[in-house]
Amino acid sequence: MVELKNVDVHYVDGAKGGVDALNDINIRVNDGEFVFIVGDSGAGKSTLLKLLTREIQPTGGRVFVNGYNLTKLRRRKLPYFRRSLGMIFQDFRLIPTLTVYENVAFVLRVIDKSKKYIRQRVPYVLDLVKLNDKAKAYPGQLSGGEQQRVAIARAFACDPKIIIADEPTGNIDPKLSYEIVELLQDINECGTTVIMVTHNHDLVKYFGGRIINLKEGSIAFDGYIEGE
Amino acid sequence: MRMSNFSYLVKRGVGSVFRNGMMSIASFSVLLVSLLLMGLGVLVAMDLNIVLSNIEERNEISVYVYGDVSDDVLNHITDALNANPNRLGVVFYSKEDAWADKQDEMPEMAELFEYLPENPMPHTFRVTVKDISRISETAEEFRTIEGVEKVTAPYDFASALVDIRNTLSVIAAAILVAMIFTSIIIVYNAIRSSVFARKKEINIMKVVGATNAFVKIPFFIEGMFIGVAAGGASWFVTKVTYEALIRLFEGDITIWRIFGLVNIVQFDDVMWYLLAANCILGAFLGAVGTIISTGKYVKV
Repeated sequence: MVELKNVDVHYVDGAKGGVDALNDINIRVNDGEFVFIVGDSGAGKSTLLKLLTREIQPTGGRVFVNGYNLTKLRRRKLPYFRRSLGMIFQDFRLIPTLTVYENVAFVLRVIDKSKKYIRQRVPYVLDLVKLNDKAKAYPGQLSGGEQQRVAIARAFACDPKIIIADEPTGNIDPKLSYEIVELLQDINECGTTVIMVTHNHDLVKYFGGRIINLKEGSIAFDGYIEGE
Repeated sequence: MRMSNFSYLVKRGVGSVFRNGMMSIASFSVLLVSLLLMGLGVLVAMDLNIVLSNIEERNEISVYVYGDVSDDVLNHITDALNANPNRLGVVFYSKEDAWADKQDEMPEMAELFEYLPENPMPHTFRVTVKDISRISETAEEFRTIEGVEKVTAPYDFASALVDIRNTLSVIAAAILVAMIFTSIIIVYNAIRSSVFARKKEINIMKVVGATNAFVKIPFFIEGMFIGVAAGGASWFVTKVTYEALIRLFEGDITIWRIFGLVNIVQFDDVMWYLLAANCILGAFLGAVGTIISTGKYVKV
């Protein structure tokens, strides 16, 4: 579960005197939900994601993610909190010197999973994103859509409670974007909460569901729409 | 941490040494030179110590006794000399022996010596000292002993020796400190460049929940691997260089004698200590360089 209570984020900027990135944000995302976060550039989407991954702290209010109170989380506990999240980025962030298999196995090693578990889990998640036949390929040998599927497999490999996707369709063919969201929906149906930030309004209209629209640091809309 | 994951990190660290090519070679070379200078420095210092000790042992304080003294006084002087904490050895040289030696040394003066009414030589004690830097103080103490007429000692020579030893120690320490600093800075730069090359990987590690230790272990392995390899290589170069130096002098044994180098340090006697010291020091320098660079740039 994700909960933001009266959250403010104020960036200090010497020349301008400061920027209010988020103002009095109140959001609650229950376990198993699929939420789109939309908004123009500068609306506060990235700031919101940084709060959820504890890259930054709010200047006011409280943030709870997966039972962790992020406003009071100690630095040494941070890695353990992050293990409960799966992150997907616009630029995929795959390690170019590792194969598809190794990229997915890598995160499992980071969280100290056994060799046996890695051998079982990696083919399973690669099968889920239909990339088993590309296990030995390097990221540079894959298309943008395939690379993003590897990133999704990597995010899902650790069996996180929440997957946070930051513009996952931003760098890929528009046609393939639908496949990526469908993949995330499949994962969501397994019980994983998915929070997806996007610019792509067509995509949001097509799939529908819960939408949170940010405008100038505040919530302009938080509700459900019907998909097409 | 599981053994399998630890060995994976070790492999990543060692692999990084080769991926980081030029910077690894630079660190390896500087560490090799530093450790080589240290190794040779230690061996030369040990040899120098032998030279100085040999010279020191030949440094005697001569204690002259008044002409007519009783055996009791002689015994008293012997006891007082032996009681001094700085004495290494005490040899009594009687006036009769001195006179006989003098006559042997100057046979052309034999006729002249016959006209002397009595033996003009004094009883003498020759005292070698443990600490040459205290020779002046020790001589002063001997002068106060009852029955002692005169005390002579090679003060200037002793103080020159002490000065040489102190100066060499300071120079050696300064070179050592400079080399240690240089080594750490070079290793720091190598690891920093490795950290930058793997920035993306580190970022992914942080995002997926890697602990600080997990992120840093490969860099530690990398730094220490370079250090130990440089330690081993410098040990080998030290062996070749030192043995070549020995062979250079071997032909002319008198050179050794002149310098008092009779029991010169043989490389084989210290080789394992030196190898262990080189590897430990190399690993230590590698680790220190890594701690500084990762402490600053790798923070989860």
